[in-house]
Parts: sequence; C-alpha cells; structure tokens
Amino acid sequence: MKILIVEDEMSLQEVIRRSLEQERYVVETASDYESALEKTAAYDYDCILLDIMLPGGSGLELLEKLKQMRKSESVIIVSARDSLEDKIAGLELGADDYLPKPFHLAELHARIRSVIRRKRGGEMTIEAGNVCIRPDQFRVSVGGRELELSRKEYDILSYFAGRPGHLVSKTTLAEAVWGDHIDQADNFDFIYAQMKNLRRKLKEAGATAEIRSVYGFGYKLICTEE
Amino acid sequence: MKLIWRLTFRISFALSLLLAGWAVFFYVAVIDEVNDEADDALEEYSERIIRRHLGGEPLPAADDGTTTIYSVVGVDAAYADHYGPERYSDDEAYIPALDNEAPVRVLKTIFRDAEGRYFELTAATPTIEKEDLQEAVFNWVVILYLSLLLSVVFIGGWVLWRSLRPLYVLLKWLDAYTVGGRNAPLDNPTRVTEFRKLTDAARRSAERTERLFEEQKQFIGNASHEMQTPLAVCRNRLEMVAADPDLPERQLGEVLSVLQTLESLTRLNRTLLLLSKIDNGQFPESEEVCLNDVLESHLEAYAEIYGHRGISLRVERQGRMRCAMNGSLAEMLVTNLLKNAYVHNRPGGSIFIRITDRSLMFANTGDPLPFDRADLFKRFRQGGRREDSTGLGLALAESICKRYGMEITYAYADGEHRFTVSRP
Repeated sequence: MKILIVEDEMSLQEVIRRSLEQERYVVETASDYESALEKTAAYDYDCILLDIMLPGGSGLELLEKLKQMRKSESVIIVSARDSLEDKIAGLELGADDYLPKPFHLAELHARIRSVIRRKRGGEMTIEAGNVCIRPDQFRVSVGGRELELSRKEYDILSYFAGRPGHLVSKTTLAEAVWGDHIDQADNFDFIYAQMKNLRRKLKEAGATAEIRSVYGFGYKLICTEE
Repeated sequence: MKLIWRLTFRISFALSLLLAGWAVFFYVAVIDEVNDEADDALEEYSERIIRRHLGGEPLPAADDGTTTIYSVVGVDAAYADHYGPERYSDDEAYIPALDNEAPVRVLKTIFRDAEGRYFELTAATPTIEKEDLQEAVFNWVVILYLSLLLSVVFIGGWVLWRSLRPLYVLLKWLDAYTVGGRNAPLDNPTRVTEFRKLTDAARRSAERTERLFEEQKQFIGNASHEMQTPLAVCRNRLEMVAADPDLPERQLGEVLSVLQTLESLTRLNRTLLLLSKIDNGQFPESEEVCLNDVLESHLEAYAEIYGHRGISLRVERQGRMRCAMNGSLAEMLVTNLLKNAYVHNRPGGSIFIRITDRSLMFANTGDPLPFDRADLFKRFRQGGRREDSTGLGLALAESICKRYGMEITYAYADGEHRFTVSRP
C-alpha cells in the first residue's frame, strides 16, 4: 500500500511518515507543489495526504491537476485552515476526506483505512478479531453470532474497530461518541459505565477483540489470538 | 451645559452690568441738566426780587399765578457769614398756584441792604418728580435689557447654530462611531479652517483606531492559526512515543498527561480561532434554526456526561424560538450555555430551562459570582481556574448573540444564575 505525504512542515512530515511506516505502508514524501506534482504524475499511489498551503502553489490546484490527469488516487486533505469553505472546495474537487490540523495519528490511520476501503468497494465490513461490524446495517456479530448492543455501545465499538491497536484518550472518545462540544469533563464516569457493559457483552459473546484500559488515560482495542 | 446656553448666560450677565451702570449715568445726567435749567431760572428770579427789595419797589404777590414762590427773612451776620451768599437744595413745598405739595428746587440767597442788614431770600420752583424719573429710567432700561437679551439669544443662537453646524455634525458622527463596527463615512464639508482641521483629525484618528483594531484581530487569528501545525507535530510525536510498547508504564503516564495538556491547548486555540472568525463575520451562511430542536438534541448527552453530579433538570417549553442564524453557531450558543449551567452548578443542584417564542433562559443553582458581573462575558474570566473549561464559553456565547443582534443578559437571584437569550 503506497501513500504520498504532501506536507511542507518537515517535522510533521517526518512524524506522519514514521507513524505510517509502522503501520506497514510504503511512504513517499513531497514538501512543495512542484515535487508533489512530479511525483503524482510519475507514480500511482493508493492515498495522498495533501496539505492545502504549500510553497509554490495550493493543494487545491494540485487536486485539480490530479483530476485532469484522471488519477484515481484517494486524497485526504490535511489543513491548518479549519474552514468550511476549504472543506467544501476540497470535497467538490474530488478529495475523499478532510482532516483539520492538529489531529490524532489514530484518527489519521482510521481515515486512511476507511478511504482505501471505500476505494476498493465491496468490502463493507470492519473486522477486529472475530468481531465483524456492518456499518451499513448498524449490526455487530461475534464469530457469526449476532450481538445486541445499545447505540452508544455500538458507536464506541465501531470507533475502536476503526483504530485497532491505537490508544484513544477518554476525551477523544467522548468527543467522537457524545458530540463535538464536550470539553474535557472533569469526570468520565459516563464513559466508564458504557465501556463496562460493552466489555461484558464482548466477553460473554467470546470475542477475541478486547478493549483494554490504558493507565486510566484511555483505551485500546487489542485482538487476542486464542 | 450646551455651548449656546453658556454664551447666552455670559452675555446676559455682562449686559446686565453694563446697562445698570449706564442707567445710573443716564439718570444722573438728566437730573443734572434739569437742575441746571431750574437753577438758572431761580437765579434770575432771585436777582429780580433782590433788586426790587433793595430798590423799595413792591414785591410780587405770593399768589400771582406763577408756580415760583419766595420768602424774604432777616438774618444775623453770623448766619449770613456761615451760609452765604447762595445755596441750592432740593425740597418739597406747598405751591399755591398748583394747590399741591410738589418737589421743588430751592435757592437761598443772602443779601445786605444799604443799612447793612442781612436778609435771606428763599426762592423755590417746582421741578421734576425724581421717583418718576427713576422709575421711568429703570423701566426703559429693563425693556432695553430684555430686548437686547432676546436679540442676543435669537441672533446669537442662529449665528452659532449656523457656524457651529460642522462641529455638531462631527459630534454626532463621533457619538455614533463604534470601533470595528459599520460606520458611515464622515461627510462634513466646511470652509472654516479650524473645523476642517478638527474633522480631518477625527477622521485620521478613527482610521488609525480602525487599523489597529484590524491588525489586532488579524494577529489573534494568525497567531492561533500558526500554532496549529506545531501543536500537531507535538501531539503526533508524543502519540508515537505513547504507542511504543517498550515504554515503561511510569513514563507512559507522563507522556499521556502531557498529551492531555496539549489537548486543552489545542481546544483553547481552536476556540480563539472560532471567536476571531465570528468577530470577523466569517460565518455568512444563515438558515432558519429552531433553538428548541438544537436544545433537545443535546439535553440527553449532557445529562449523561454530568450524571455523576446528581443535577436535576427541568425544561419548560412555552413556545418555539426560531432564529435566522448559522446552524453551527446556534449549536455552539446553546451548548455553551447548557454546559455552563452544568459546570457552574453545585452537586445535587438543579437546572431550569424555559424556552418561549422570543427567549431562552437557563437558570442553575450555584454560588454567587466571585468577581464583578461586568466581567462575566470577558475572555478568560472564570470563577477560579478550572481544568475543564477554556474560560471562553460565555465570551463565545456573547459574540454569537452580538453577531445576530440578539441580547444575552445575566441575573443572580434566589441562589440561581440566570442567563437569558432574547431575540430582537
């Protein structure tokens, strides 16, 4: 799986590259408009991470060029400008997703996976161990058997299934599942209550995927081989 | 005090002094002239009497029809020496011809006959009534004063109004001026140099203020913006460290707590950016939003999140509040106030929300504000440092309300904080 990172901030570029390499992607980088254009013209990538503000040109222009070249790469726009206009312009030009800076690496991985999965089509399930999630039907099965989950439990499980092995902080989880406007509440009892039920249900169903608590800070989905 | 009144008062005061002085002078001059005339007549009359007296001719009868009266009496040498030869005075006397007491001018003349006997001739002739004259002079001066005053007020007022019009135009413009607001251009054509300079100075000063305000706004926006990428780098590097399976648990804890702090910094930064965007009017798209729906969609989540504090919630739905505003800003407004009601509450307290067609009120139990309520909507003003809030929530709510001409008010009564958002 080949990914091109177009990012002028070298430090950020390096972190993203290392993080993606750990996930066993093949990573190429470009730090300005010209080199990005050259690379996209010469090679095919599965996914391009594209910064909007680049030395020598705009990421949106590059997006237009890609469209003219009839390239079929999935593009995720990564921008410090968290503005609706950029997002709309980017998506209209054929970008697949929009991720405002700063972001969590786990979030980036989840978006890349989802974009690639969408591009391949067909495979509409997310799997973690013997747990299988069908997002189109809001259904979960463990080892082929249907698992009854509440809405919140389902949201939590599908969030973790999209980010296997990644540490997700309680704040991030709260934001993702309970809504964008929830700041760091001083107490995360409400997450704990849902999590307890979800873990119990997974365990009773004999799931090989387990959501583990990490040092009181957050959770991580681990697939245990039995 | 308005300039025109001040000028009028000053001029009236100066005029009253001037006219009083002038009235006294005028009166004295008139009396002087009248006395002079009477004295001349008396002198001539006295001379005639004395000549007749000395010549032994018969003196005119006392009631000869003229208004002048006289008497001749003999006096001793000492008296003559002391009072002679003539003296004038004012007196009152009975005038037979007039059959009345009248103010008279009196001339007393001492003379000596051939034998050396002294006589005193007292001649008196009626003169003007001084009280009458005083009254007349006073009355006319008052009339003159009033008419002058009236002219001063009307002519002065008109002249002032005409020539100070540029000043009033400028003042009106300055009154209406708000920094960063939509200000009408200053249109104040005038040929008066001072006013032109004043207008130019005001315009320049306003432009300078405007530019500074704009720069400051941009600075906040740019600063927050520029911080996004370094923040992203920091966070992502730490996330990589945290993901390292070889990391001992103690170090992991440290890394995670730094991550948490970075996250609040990110949130703070994002909110500042948002505030600067709202203030810059960068949320143009408006739609009809029903605040009821916005509220209902968040109530459950908030009740769940703050469930551990045992706060009871009551909602009174009296109407549906519809506003034309940006959807995400409406959501931000409602959730910020809702969150505020939960966070600044006491455990086991209560929240009461009332929504009508025109207003939305959040009331929650809690301790009184530990700071001046005028500072309530200012940025970073909060009761004690709190980990779980940025201190920007109410500033954000106020900015949103201001943007759409809505009013947000605060009151504290019966141990309850009350925030009311009302539609124009």
